[in-house]
Amino acid sequence: MPNNFVLGKEQLFSRRQLLKLGIWGAGFAGTAALWHTLNAHSKSIVKVPPLEIAATNQAVKPMQMLRNFDYGVVKQENGRTVREFQLTAGTSVIQLNSAVSYNVWDLNGRIPGPTLRAKQGERVRILFLNNAGHSHSLHFHGVHPAEMDGIRPVSNGSATIYEFDAEPYGVHLYHCHIEPVTRHIAKGLYGMFIIDPPTPRPPADEIVLVMAGYDVNDDSHNEYYAFNGLPHYFMDNPIPIYQNQLVRLYVLNIIEYDTAVTFHLHANFFDVYRSGMTMTPTEKTDVITMGIAERHILEFAFRYPGKYMFHPHQDAIAENGCMGQFEVITDKPSQT
Amino acid sequence: MKKFKYFCLTIATAAIVSLSACNNTPTAEKPSAPDTNSTSTAQVTETTTHSGHGSKEKININTAILSELDKFEAKLGVPALSNKIQASRPYANPEDLVNKKVITQEQFDQIKDQVTVQEVILTGEAKDVDYMTKLGLMKGHLLVAQELLDKNLPKQAEPHIGHPVEEIYVDVEEQLNERKVKEFKTTLVGLQDLVKSNPKNAKVKTDFTASVQSVDGAIAVLPEAQRTKPGFVLQVINELLDSANSEYGAAIADGKIAAAIEYQDSRGFVLYANDLYKGISSQVAQDSPDAHKAIETSLSELTKVWPSAIPPAKPVKTPVEVTQLIKTIEQNSQKVIDKSSTQAQR
Repeated sequence: MPNNFVLGKEQLFSRRQLLKLGIWGAGFAGTAALWHTLNAHSKSIVKVPPLEIAATNQAVKPMQMLRNFDYGVVKQENGRTVREFQLTAGTSVIQLNSAVSYNVWDLNGRIPGPTLRAKQGERVRILFLNNAGHSHSLHFHGVHPAEMDGIRPVSNGSATIYEFDAEPYGVHLYHCHIEPVTRHIAKGLYGMFIIDPPTPRPPADEIVLVMAGYDVNDDSHNEYYAFNGLPHYFMDNPIPIYQNQLVRLYVLNIIEYDTAVTFHLHANFFDVYRSGMTMTPTEKTDVITMGIAERHILEFAFRYPGKYMFHPHQDAIAENGCMGQFEVITDKPSQT
Repeated sequence: MKKFKYFCLTIATAAIVSLSACNNTPTAEKPSAPDTNSTSTAQVTETTTHSGHGSKEKININTAILSELDKFEAKLGVPALSNKIQASRPYANPEDLVNKKVITQEQFDQIKDQVTVQEVILTGEAKDVDYMTKLGLMKGHLLVAQELLDKNLPKQAEPHIGHPVEEIYVDVEEQLNERKVKEFKTTLVGLQDLVKSNPKNAKVKTDFTASVQSVDGAIAVLPEAQRTKPGFVLQVINELLDSANSEYGAAIADGKIAAAIEYQDSRGFVLYANDLYKGISSQVAQDSPDAHKAIETSLSELTKVWPSAIPPAKPVKTPVEVTQLIKTIEQNSQKVIDKSSTQAQR
C-alpha cells in the first residue's frame, strides 16, 4: 500500500498527552507543510488495538478494510501535488456464507473497492482499467467538470483517466454509473472517497464501515446484507477498540433496492458530522437515517468495556447480515 | 515562533475564505454564464488542442485495439508487443510504456510522437473496427434476447434488450450521427419498456424486428468491401470473443454457472462471432488454409460451451479452457490480419 499512514499499532500514549498534542496541533493547523507533521504525531497518540486478521484469498476482507486507506502515489507536477490512484475492475466469486457463493465485480480484487483518500485542493488522478467484461465506469461524488463525471462507458479491456481537484472536503464515494446502476453497484463497483479538510480532524481511531446489500437471484430485492462485504462477519469477529478512545467512523450506505436504512449504535450516542462536510458536529444521536449513497462521520468513545452491537434498525436487514459489534478493550495503564 | 503561528493562521483563514468563495461561485455564475465552467478546465482545452493540431495520427495506448497497436509492433519489430501494451494498462502518460518496462527508452523515442493517453478521434480502419465491434456486441445481446423471447422468458430477455442502450449506445452515438444513421435508441428503449411492462403484447415481435433491423442498418453503412474483408472481420470477431471471454469468467462460481446474465451475454457474442466468420470462412480457407483450420476448429469447440440460452447444469468448459480457445483464434487471426494489411500497403 503506497504512502499509507495507517495509524501505528504499538505506540500507546496517555490520554493527557493526546489532549495536549491535540491542542498544540489545533493552533498550527491550516498549512500544508504542517499536515504531514501532524499526521506523524497523530500516529503516536491514537490507540488502536492490534488486529488478528486471518489470511484469506477472498475478495472480501472486512477486517483489513476497516483501517485501510489508499493514499495513492504522490507526484509533484507543475508545482502541484497530484495523487494518482489505480483502480482495475475485475470479476471474482465471494462466499457469502457456507452455502451461498456469488459472482461479483471487484475493484483491485476487492469488494467494496479501496477507500481512496486525498486532501482538499490536491489534484486527483484515477487510472481506471476495465477488465470485467461488461462496460463499466467510475463516477465520483464531489465537484468536477462534466467530462470527468464518469458516466461514459469504458469498454472491456480499455482504460481511462479521471482527473479533477479534490473538493470539497467530506466523505464521498465513487461507483460505476452504467445502467442498470442498481446491478452495477450491488455487484461490487463502489468504494469510499474521503477528502480530508485543510485543517486535519483531531486524532482518532479511524474506521471505515460500508453497508451493502446482495441481490443474489437478480430479482431486484436483497437477500443478504453486510458491513464491509461479508454478512454477519463483525458479529463473529468483533472490531476491537480501546475504552475511552475517540473513534471516528466513516459510514456509507450503498444498499441498493432498499430506500433507506438507519445506523444504530448500542449503549452510546455519537456525534454526527453530516457528509463529513463540517468540522463541528451537527447533532448527537444513536440512530441516524441514511438514504442510498448517504454517508457521514460518526464520532464516539465507549466508557465501559464489553461488546456493543451496531446495525441498521430495520431489523430484518440487520438479521440478514448487516450487523456487527465493537469489542471495547480496557485501557492498560502500563504503556505510559 | 509566535509570528509564524499568526502567519499560519492567516494562511488558513485566507484558504477557508477563498474556499468558501469557490464553493459559492458556481451557483452565482451559472445562470449568467453557463459556459464558463466547462471551458475553463485544463482538461478540455488540452483534449481539443491535441486532437485539433495532431499532425500525426496518435494512438491511445489505454483504449486502442490490438490491430491499432500493431503499428508499434511493426515499427519496433517487437513480437507480441501489442498484447504486452494491452496487458500493462492503465497508463497515466505515454512515458509509462518505459516505466512499466513494456519497451525501452530507445524504442519509446522512436514512437513517442504517436503515443497518447488522451482521448483520440479514431480514423480509418481502426474507427470502422471500433464501430462494427460495438454494433456487433449489440447484435450479440439481441440474438440471445430473441432466443429467450422465443422460449417465452421475457424476464430473462429484458436485460439483454437493455444492455445495448445502457452500455453501448452512448459510445457509438457520435459515430452514428456522423455516419448519418437514423437514431434508434428510442426504438430500443421502447422495446425494453414493452418487454418489461407487457411482454405478451403482439407489438413485442414487431418492435423487436425493428430493433434488429436498426442495428443491421447501422452495420450496413460500412462499405461492403470492408464488411467482407477477412482482415477486417477477424478484428471484430476477436473483440467480440474477448468480451465473451470476460463475461464467461464472470458467470462461473464454484464450478457452476451462477450468473445467467453473463453466461447469456457471452453466448450472444460467440453466436454473432460465428455468424461473422461464416461470411469470410471460404476466403480465409483459400488465402490462409492453416489459420482457417485452426480458427474453424477452435470456434466449433468454443460454440459447444453454450449449448442453449439456458445455462447447462454443469459448465461444458472451464473459463481457462475458454480463454485458451479464444487465444488460439486470436493468434491465428493475427496471421490473416497481418497478411491483409501488408497486402494493402503494397
